[in-house]
Amino acid sequence: MISDAGWTLIFLAIAFAATMAGRFIVRRFTAHFRPLRAYAVLPELAADAVEGNWRMHFSMGSSALGQPSTVSALVSAEIIYRLSERLAIGRQTPLITLSDPITLPLAQDTLRRAYGYRRNMAYYRSSAAAWYPQGPRSLAFAAGIASLSADAEADSNVLLGRFGYEMALIGESALRYDQRLIAHSDLVEGQAIAFAQADEMLLGEELYVGPAYMNGTALERGGVFALDVLRWLVILSILVVALQEAIGR
Amino acid sequence: MRRHRLLNFLATVTAISMGLVTLIGLVSEPGTSSANLAGFLIRLVSVFAAVAVFIGVLNLIAVHMGRFVRSEHGWPYSLIVLVTAVAVIMVRILDHADIWPGDLKGEQISVRVFESVQVSLESALAALLVFFLVYAAYRLMRRRVTVWNVVFSAIVVIVLLGSIPLKKTDALADVRDWLIRVPVGAGARGLLIGVGLGTVTVGVRVLVGQDRSFRS
Repeated sequence: MISDAGWTLIFLAIAFAATMAGRFIVRRFTAHFRPLRAYAVLPELAADAVEGNWRMHFSMGSSALGQPSTVSALVSAEIIYRLSERLAIGRQTPLITLSDPITLPLAQDTLRRAYGYRRNMAYYRSSAAAWYPQGPRSLAFAAGIASLSADAEADSNVLLGRFGYEMALIGESALRYDQRLIAHSDLVEGQAIAFAQADEMLLGEELYVGPAYMNGTALERGGVFALDVLRWLVILSILVVALQEAIGR
Repeated sequence: MRRHRLLNFLATVTAISMGLVTLIGLVSEPGTSSANLAGFLIRLVSVFAAVAVFIGVLNLIAVHMGRFVRSEHGWPYSLIVLVTAVAVIMVRILDHADIWPGDLKGEQISVRVFESVQVSLESALAALLVFFLVYAAYRLMRRRVTVWNVVFSAIVVIVLLGSIPLKKTDALADVRDWLIRVPVGAGARGLLIGVGLGTVTVGVRVLVGQDRSFRS
């Protein structure tokens, strides 16, 4: 009998092997990914923001380093970096909002790296990354960032990470102020609200392939391959267990 | 350039080694040295988090103090934040000193204040959510009629009607319960499994030191 720890290691080993195999495949052959509308729209929004001298507002919600949502915070930061790189040639510093204090340095550093890459540090403002101390999944947090986004006359809101019901407040404000809304949540409640309110949404694991879709490295694109392998393994396991149950009866 | 490369190399080595040590510790038997080391690293993160909250609160007070002193746009709100912050800290200190007289003796006034302000505020906002969602479903249908939008709107209507406590809506209540138990439950599990798989694939990338967030 394999223990839980054993399963964890086996799963990680499969993920690692599939990622490396995917990296090899995307380097040798041309890989075509399933089109995801949100990842096509995001660079366009960034380009529009630079041309129109508008702001973009990014929020990581309650994704937090050192918590179960660490990975979603890291991926959200990476996607924000890819977009901030494009926005860093403009004069309007994008806003990043979050509710976890330990993630604030990550958000500030994401902006700093993007402006440093474009050699445009004159327009970098560390205060553009704002921490709202209301705590995770708070409606007061949502009301605060919706108001900040409206006051800063942001053209679009990009919500990536962990959001619950509070996303509805941000969505409502985006509608009232005619802002575009691209949304994702790794919680089911937030995901349902994203489906209803967002102009474009990312579903479940689609957040984690974001870097691969936005000028990703071979390893990041290999990760998409690994995700597909793992997904099919889970599907097959469910089918096998269901068949076993059916035959057993 | 060479200094940057060296820093990147050191950051990558630190990230990989810490990640591996924590992973090995978490899959080890409790009480072993590797599990203790992983526990220590995780506790270290908690300490960092506490320090980060403290620095964050100081920064918040400094920012609002600056806005108030310079009479910047919105300074009255900054004043409210400052007064509230000082009041909450004072009430907490008085709670610990246990100086409340009469009926209030032994009470935690800070908890009462939190419940009467924050919880009431959150409840009021939560009450608005249902209207936002119904309006969102309406907008969804106005924007584009697709199969999924129709399914979403129909389910919103069924769940809302099924929640009305009337005898004649018993059948709808049953449909609502079935929807929540079977298709919604299955969909939610599917989403969470997807999120879990995504976390594993990105976690592998972080473990091999290919994540960019800790490099210049």
